[in-house]
Amino acid sequence: MAGTPEQTTVNQVAKLARIHLNEQQIESSAEKLAQILGYIGQLDEVELPEDVTPFFGAIESVNAIRDDQLQASVPRKEILDNAPDSDGEFYLVPPVF
Amino acid sequence: MEDSDLTSSSNPPSNDRLAVQFNDAEIIIGLEVHVQLDTISKLFCGCSTQFGEAANSQTCVVCTGMPGALPVINQRALELSIRTGIALNCSIARSTKWDRKNYFYPDLPKGYQISQFDQPICGPGHLDIEVPETPGKLRQIRIERAHLEEDAGKSIHDESSLGQDSKIDLNRTGTPLLEIVTQPDIRTAAEAKAFLSELKLILNYIDVSDCNMQQGNLRCDANVNLHIPLGDHQIATPIVEIKNLNSFRSVERSITYEAQRQFEAWQEHGLTITDAPKQTRGWNDHAQATTLQREKEDSADYRYFPDPDLIAVTIKESQIKQIQKQLVQLPTELRKTLVEQYKLNPEDAAAIVSQGRGVVDYFSEVADGCQDSRIANNWIGQEVLRQLKESNQTIQQYPLSPKQFTELLNLVIDGTLDQTRGKEVLNEMVEHSISAQQAIEQLGIKPVDKNELVSLCEKLIDENQEVVEQIRAGNGKAIGMLIGKARKINPNANPGAIKALLSKMISQ
Amino acid sequence: MTLSALNADVIVDQLNAGELKATDCVQYFLDRIQTHDAEINAFVSISQTALEQAEAIDQRRKAGQTVGCLAGLPIAIKDGICVSGQPTTAGSKMLEKFTPPYDATIVERLKSADAIIIGKTNMDEFAMGSSTENSFFGPTHNPWATDRVPGGSSGGSAACVASRLAPVAIGSDTGGSIRQPASFCGITGLKPTYGSVSRYGLIAFASSLDQIGPMTRTAKESALLMSVIAGFDPRDSTSSKAQITDCLSGLETPLNGIRIGVCRNQFNDGLDQEVETKINDATSVFKLLGAEIKEIELPHSQYAVAAYYVIAPCEASSNLARYDGVRYTFRAPGNDLEEMYRNTRGQGFGNEVKQRIMLGTYALSSGYYEAYYLKASKVRRMIKQDYDDAFQKVDLILGPTTPTPAFKLGEHAEDPLAMYLADVYTVSANLAGIPAISVPVGQSKNGLPIGLQLQGRAFEENTLLRAAHQFQNVTLWHDTSPSQPWRTQT
Repeated sequence: MAGTPEQTTVNQVAKLARIHLNEQQIESSAEKLAQILGYIGQLDEVELPEDVTPFFGAIESVNAIRDDQLQASVPRKEILDNAPDSDGEFYLVPPVF
Repeated sequence: MEDSDLTSSSNPPSNDRLAVQFNDAEIIIGLEVHVQLDTISKLFCGCSTQFGEAANSQTCVVCTGMPGALPVINQRALELSIRTGIALNCSIARSTKWDRKNYFYPDLPKGYQISQFDQPICGPGHLDIEVPETPGKLRQIRIERAHLEEDAGKSIHDESSLGQDSKIDLNRTGTPLLEIVTQPDIRTAAEAKAFLSELKLILNYIDVSDCNMQQGNLRCDANVNLHIPLGDHQIATPIVEIKNLNSFRSVERSITYEAQRQFEAWQEHGLTITDAPKQTRGWNDHAQATTLQREKEDSADYRYFPDPDLIAVTIKESQIKQIQKQLVQLPTELRKTLVEQYKLNPEDAAAIVSQGRGVVDYFSEVADGCQDSRIANNWIGQEVLRQLKESNQTIQQYPLSPKQFTELLNLVIDGTLDQTRGKEVLNEMVEHSISAQQAIEQLGIKPVDKNELVSLCEKLIDENQEVVEQIRAGNGKAIGMLIGKARKINPNANPGAIKALLSKMISQ
Repeated sequence: MTLSALNADVIVDQLNAGELKATDCVQYFLDRIQTHDAEINAFVSISQTALEQAEAIDQRRKAGQTVGCLAGLPIAIKDGICVSGQPTTAGSKMLEKFTPPYDATIVERLKSADAIIIGKTNMDEFAMGSSTENSFFGPTHNPWATDRVPGGSSGGSAACVASRLAPVAIGSDTGGSIRQPASFCGITGLKPTYGSVSRYGLIAFASSLDQIGPMTRTAKESALLMSVIAGFDPRDSTSSKAQITDCLSGLETPLNGIRIGVCRNQFNDGLDQEVETKINDATSVFKLLGAEIKEIELPHSQYAVAAYYVIAPCEASSNLARYDGVRYTFRAPGNDLEEMYRNTRGQGFGNEVKQRIMLGTYALSSGYYEAYYLKASKVRRMIKQDYDDAFQKVDLILGPTTPTPAFKLGEHAEDPLAMYLADVYTVSANLAGIPAISVPVGQSKNGLPIGLQLQGRAFEENTLLRAAHQFQNVTLWHDTSPSQPWRTQT
């Protein structure tokens, strides 16, 4: 794989994310990634207390739970209508290998 | 060829390796068991978990990962997980959270599986097992953890190799699974099987799962490698994860196969755990062999992170206590009870317990009713189980109540019915769902008068002189033939009484 | 006065009084869209059933049946929110033909209040952007100056309210996507407390930051919409069970004695001089209204953008994994599954979306979780802690919504970082989960609106709306409309 270390990384990440990028996109992506990672690097400056717990967003920690009860499923046709390819019963996808 | 480039301290010359016997190697096995929890709705939505319905007929916006849809956890799935944890002596998390396991596959609608990474609902525990080949010897298998996760859907691939499309059915997507992971404490294929049998039994007893393996409600992966003594140290072969194990037999056979294969591979190449990464192999039931599974290079990079759509679940001590209190007696305790209280031998106790809680309850009620647990065991262990098997019924569907069955056994115990007639009565009771008394009447069974018995024996001796001679000549067994004939003439004749009478008359 | 000059609460009053028919009202706004939207491009799709619904409401009113509290009021919905049976694209080619079979909870609530959804508004693809330029359906233009961006990602909603193509709209805000376009377009926009409005049916960008909220001309209209859309939803696990304080009834309570904090270290180099002046002017107005202005510190706010650009892309990379060409509309062909995946995602996503998925995938990949997501989430805790401390001393925090007024289309096209810094004052509220509102407080010399942001304690939207309403009682900026063909006052 030719290119800068950043481009190699971008190639690997694009693979992991299942995104096809052409060479020009890889180049520009590598540049932007380096720029933003550089900016994000300032997080290293933050002096974090040792016991600090991460905050993942939800303000309340009350259990959100539902009873084990049935609810009507969505009719198959409505669900499959949005699929790019189906035979009316199954979603169809190209062969795995 | 000497594999010189591979040779290191762990790869001595192959002559040394060839000198090692397979039997010297120790097999190290850890299991990952996926159990489908017995909920009526899915883990994060209200769709049914019913097996075998029309493809894609049991999905909704949540379990198909429709843009905008959000998951909400099923209370019963939590409860069943806690119940399992308690039964497996696990510590139960006070706070448990949800993580996303990210990977691409067409039967994984969201592109990630909601699972639990670092705060599983059940922490370390253990399960004691007994291998049938070594009765009385308990082995403790440590449980590492058990976590809740959602199942994926089903992919049906084209087998014709014509490159046809794969079909995706998402009915199973989102079904609650508990993944139980053991420590690598298992040492033989038989132990692995015993562990799974005991686990399945427990899960049945506590109503967590029906463990129907045909329907995929209990699935197992096995991590296997060998520890091989070599000179003054010991080497380990590369770990292999065997997938697609959907019967106890395939677990047993695949481990046996894999151990042998690893040993031979090691003898040939000398590769150890430090030389090769963990490998995934699939069990091919048809070929009775494990085969290397093709894997994507990035398949292990699951990019776990906490699912921001869900919040952590707090489990209160009181909730755990409550579930603990409701927990029924587990198989181990029941076996003990049957041995100590009902005086069964351990094998019989195990056989009864292995049939499930219903049979144990049935047995206890009958044994209590007839005050003879040995006879109760004989009759239930043989007759009842045979009938259930033949009619493909569960004990709950058995036509005779424990009380009716007790009535019958009491007639056998007090000698009113001999074993053979007793069984006839039983069959009649089952066939027509009637009481023992009614069956006796229908079969025309009545006690036989002593004089009647004497004349019957006289008649037999008269008509079967040859047999009588044989008996006199010392062939004791020949008397059976006469008893048989007697019962043909009068089915109510008690074989014990006939035998006694005949012996007495012939020897005179 | 023409309908376009009326506030939503007045329109509803007129509808209820029988002075205005819902059909006429809906027709009026549909006509305005027809006339002006070609130039603004605020809408991605227009409802084909709006008039029918209006007709039904008129019938019900005529028959004396009870109707909902917004009966007949036209409303525009950001196209990242699912409306059953109507195309919902999230501004992406990936969902160009996606028609959800279900309503988002807020849509359900608006429908049961008998509001009429007249159309779906343009947005940055999957809400990623601050200019609405990243839309598959072309950029939206700022009604105040069509060569400028309306802000984003809810640029379509902001632009349609500013040009009165709809009286009110709904947007969503992940890092400023309601407040920044509200500021750029001279309207009022509220990002509620995380958990106070259900996210069910909102196409996720970054789940722990996303919140749906109202975009209106006045704070009073926002309060009216909040009274309908806010509240617990059992289908959203992160939805709060706490009773949302009534936003409408306290609006007229004076601000005497309210303590408003100002964080001076946010008034730094990046802040446009004109914006700073207008914020200072507005601060004086709040003083006159009886507020006590206090200096406060938010020591970690300078790291907010960095933390945000870790957390949001990480969550997005996972949230957008479902667009794989199997279940929702767009698929690019491939010889095998992997090729289909890569082609679909390569062609279906725009550049900015791909870039953020790449960043998030990288930051979550093996060995980087601690250094990025976990660390950013710890910084996030510090940012939240700063707010908790500040709100011990003050009731509200005041500052600019954006560092500059609306920039030109294409101005930041090649400089993502400059674009990201447009969110510098808004992302903190998303990270901390607290509510924040942007209100218009003036114009730049070249006639571009300038917005002020108020941030409040969690679940105290009522205080925010009250302060904004009191401010609007004594100022006219919210009533000022662009001097363009779509100007409202005649």
